[in-house]
Amino acid sequence: MTQRELDLLQGTLDVLVLRALSWQPMHGYAVARFIRQGSAQAFKVLDGALYTSLHRMEERGWVESEWGASDKKKRAKFYRLTAAGRRALRSETQSWNDYVDAVGRVMTAMPESA
Amino acid sequence: MSVQRDVDAELRFHFGERIEELVAQGLTRDAAHARAIAEFGDVERTRESLREIGTRLARRRNRADLFDALRQDISYAARSLRRTPAVSLTIIVTLALGLGANAAMFSLLDAIYLRPPAGVAAPGAIRRVWVEHQFRNGTQYWPGFDYTSYDAITRSLEGRAAATLYAYPSPRKLGLGENAPIVRASGAAANYFSVLGVRPALGRFYTLQEDGLNDGAPVAVISDAFWKRQFSGDAGILGRQLSLGVRKFTIIGIAPPGFRGIDLDATDVWIPMGPYLGPEANTRMPWWQDFRVNGFQIALRPAAGVPEGELAQRVTQVMRSSAVGARRDTLAVAELGAINRDRGPGKVSTEMQVAMRLAGVAIIVLLIACANVINLLLARAVSRRREIAVRLALGVSRSRLVRLLVTESILLSLVAATAAVGAAQWGGALLRGLLMPKVEWADSPVDWRVLAFALVAAIAAGTVAGLVPALQSASPDLTNSLKAGSRDGRSHRSRLRNFLVTSQAALSVVLLVGAVLFVRSLRNVKAHDFGYAVPQLAFATVSYDTPDSARDAAFAGRIRTLDDRVAAIPGVQHVALVQFRPNSGFSFTSYFPDADTVAHHKPDGFVSGVTPSYFETTGTKLLRGRTFGIEHPGGPFTTVVNKAMADALWPNQDPIGRCVRFDVPTAPCATVIGVVQTAMMLSIDEKPTPRFYVSLDNLSFRLYPWRDLVVRADPRQLPGVMTAVRELLRTEFPGSIPQITTMSQAMEPEYRPWDLGAKLFTLFGVLALLVASIGVYSTVSYAVSQRTHEFGIRIALGAGAADVLAHVLGEGLRTVVAGVIAGIVLALAAGKLVSSLLYGITPSDPAAMATVAIVLVTVALIAAFVPARRAAGADPVSALRAD
Repeated sequence: MTQRELDLLQGTLDVLVLRALSWQPMHGYAVARFIRQGSAQAFKVLDGALYTSLHRMEERGWVESEWGASDKKKRAKFYRLTAAGRRALRSETQSWNDYVDAVGRVMTAMPESA
Repeated sequence: MSVQRDVDAELRFHFGERIEELVAQGLTRDAAHARAIAEFGDVERTRESLREIGTRLARRRNRADLFDALRQDISYAARSLRRTPAVSLTIIVTLALGLGANAAMFSLLDAIYLRPPAGVAAPGAIRRVWVEHQFRNGTQYWPGFDYTSYDAITRSLEGRAAATLYAYPSPRKLGLGENAPIVRASGAAANYFSVLGVRPALGRFYTLQEDGLNDGAPVAVISDAFWKRQFSGDAGILGRQLSLGVRKFTIIGIAPPGFRGIDLDATDVWIPMGPYLGPEANTRMPWWQDFRVNGFQIALRPAAGVPEGELAQRVTQVMRSSAVGARRDTLAVAELGAINRDRGPGKVSTEMQVAMRLAGVAIIVLLIACANVINLLLARAVSRRREIAVRLALGVSRSRLVRLLVTESILLSLVAATAAVGAAQWGGALLRGLLMPKVEWADSPVDWRVLAFALVAAIAAGTVAGLVPALQSASPDLTNSLKAGSRDGRSHRSRLRNFLVTSQAALSVVLLVGAVLFVRSLRNVKAHDFGYAVPQLAFATVSYDTPDSARDAAFAGRIRTLDDRVAAIPGVQHVALVQFRPNSGFSFTSYFPDADTVAHHKPDGFVSGVTPSYFETTGTKLLRGRTFGIEHPGGPFTTVVNKAMADALWPNQDPIGRCVRFDVPTAPCATVIGVVQTAMMLSIDEKPTPRFYVSLDNLSFRLYPWRDLVVRADPRQLPGVMTAVRELLRTEFPGSIPQITTMSQAMEPEYRPWDLGAKLFTLFGVLALLVASIGVYSTVSYAVSQRTHEFGIRIALGAGAADVLAHVLGEGLRTVVAGVIAGIVLALAAGKLVSSLLYGITPSDPAAMATVAIVLVTVALIAAFVPARRAAGADPVSALRAD
């Protein structure tokens, strides 16, 4: 999978963002950095899509936001998981793992003799 | 906008951080900038969609906040109301009465004036045609047309409006027999439905061919309600026969649900005009050429953009032209009116005039109720002064506090509104029955409009009633309240409360004076001598379902022979025969008094044919001369005149012995033999009508034959006599339906306006009195509870219990007496609003005023006495220990 750019589905991006926020509350730029580093450039996420995802999840009640100060004492908008967001992350992670397992099984399966 | 600012700030932070990081990695500032944007994607589109999401979110949050606050207010209000259930209940009952009275009145007036008939397309555009004619007794609007006029009007409109003709729904028997159900049938032109924009729900409406003038087809369209009621909504009904009396009609269509014609009376069946009138309408000439076959309504729908004035002008012109034949009136003025017939421009019926005033009365009742509620809430707020002061001290904003208190009163009035809707359902039906007992109402008294009215009125009343005490209590002097204990030392609040009690008393006086005036009017009108011994009289005749001219011709002779047999019925005092019972019809003829041979200005020749015993039977008093004896056929002709006729023809002269020639100037003399009092002819509010009486046994001219037996008996025996007469008629006239009524029954509609005014004014007046006395009681008892301390000291200082009692009673009375005086002034001022509806009494009647003043003061005394006695029993020791 060298240098192949993956188009991420919206749902997948949501899981990644939730995952990032599950460590601690962070601002949008920190989330972007987390995903950029975590994916080791294997796939590219447009930062705009990430912000859209954050705001949508805020509307859905999965995250909530608050203005605060960044490490460099700049005014930044911080996002935090809500209880509903945590529940969503659990169920999304579960289905993501199921999906990966299923794909893995298919990829390693041997055809039965015809 | 803050959402936009937020989004911009967030993105600015993002780009700042990213560019800084990239520069730190060794990129130039420009390259870093380009890279950050490339990583971001479409900046503007993202910004836009973030802004949209943010706006949605903000809006939802605002709503949620508002809702939360409201829920808090409501649950707080409900809790605090539950803490004082007696006060809450009193307020709810008071408001429910006030709101219910108004909702019932609204329901009635809405159905008559405001709400257009259901099922009509764009009902606001439909106009009714009225024509103002010059009658002898002044101008009068008349919405009744004959076919020739309709035809001429239609042609004159030249397509600038679509006009249609229909007959007001009238009761018809479904089938034959005495107990056949009654339906309301209306004759209507074929284009009636298309002009009104009504489409059949099933089957079809009739065609122009079926609506032929001479050869109309016997087809019928029935209403949805009738279809469901009578045929249980059976779709196979089309093509079946419907019997109205002896005639049969084929059902061809069913009107859409809801449509019941365009009058207050619901229509069950529509029939083409010709078959509706039947062959008997063609006796003199074809009905569509006979101006005497009239009374039809014209409704029209103007074409788009045609001004109403132009249409009215065209109709005016045609009514003044010879195109309308005998109906021509060179002074006629046409006017177009709303689809709601009662909106005019015709005369407003006395019942409706009473109803309008009752609407004012209902509003007064609501005002009294509101004053009472304000009073109770004030008292309640005062006893909560400590709570409110603590809240204010804790930092609750004044506006929030006012909102809280108003929420309480709106909550109360909403509960009251629920009860009021129930009251309106009952009261609305009651009002309809009282005001217009004959109308077969097309809809139920309570619909969504009445509900909406009750709701809006409740919120308005709740806001008004809650705002006054809320504004007052939200501004207490903080430290004083905390120090003062529960006593209310401030006098301006009790001034406000006294003012409220005074105004309640004043408004109650207005209503009670109205009640007394109407009760006295009713008594006066019933006691008035209209020339008949009303309670002793009954009228009897028969009717037939099937036409039979030979039988009808023989009827007069046959009923004449029953005279003696009716007289023999035990309890019968006198029997006579008359052409028309009072209030039912009249004959008139040309006449020539004395040597007069030409018609000149003289009274109309109303004439009644009677049998000799008529006057002693009805109790119409003889003033001069004699009544008919045995006037033998072939003997000299005689006549009796009433006083109005005698005064008109022979003022200040002796009418006895004068000669009157009836019908033609060459007729033989009928000698005037007596003068009787002027008895009512058609209605009790008519002017004294000059009239001749002639003996049916010896007529000098042709007169419509008699139909009615007049029977006089003791009122207690009248029911038995009527049963016996009914049996007699049944056996003597087989196949007939006896028609028997007492005169008292026949007079009921005549008394109705006063009866109505008396009943409803009394009802509302007593209601107002009740509410006002609750007001007096609560104010006095509140004042007493606040001053227990003071009374205790007074008693300790040696005041007797009687002194305290007198003191408290005196204070309570002072407010009420002020109210009574103000009320009498108000009642005098409002008097001219009802004076036209009163009978034999003026609105400033001193006895009426005095009666009401005494009643009100007595009730107030009783209401004040209970708490006053409590004050007199104040225990000095415990009073001094309190606080």
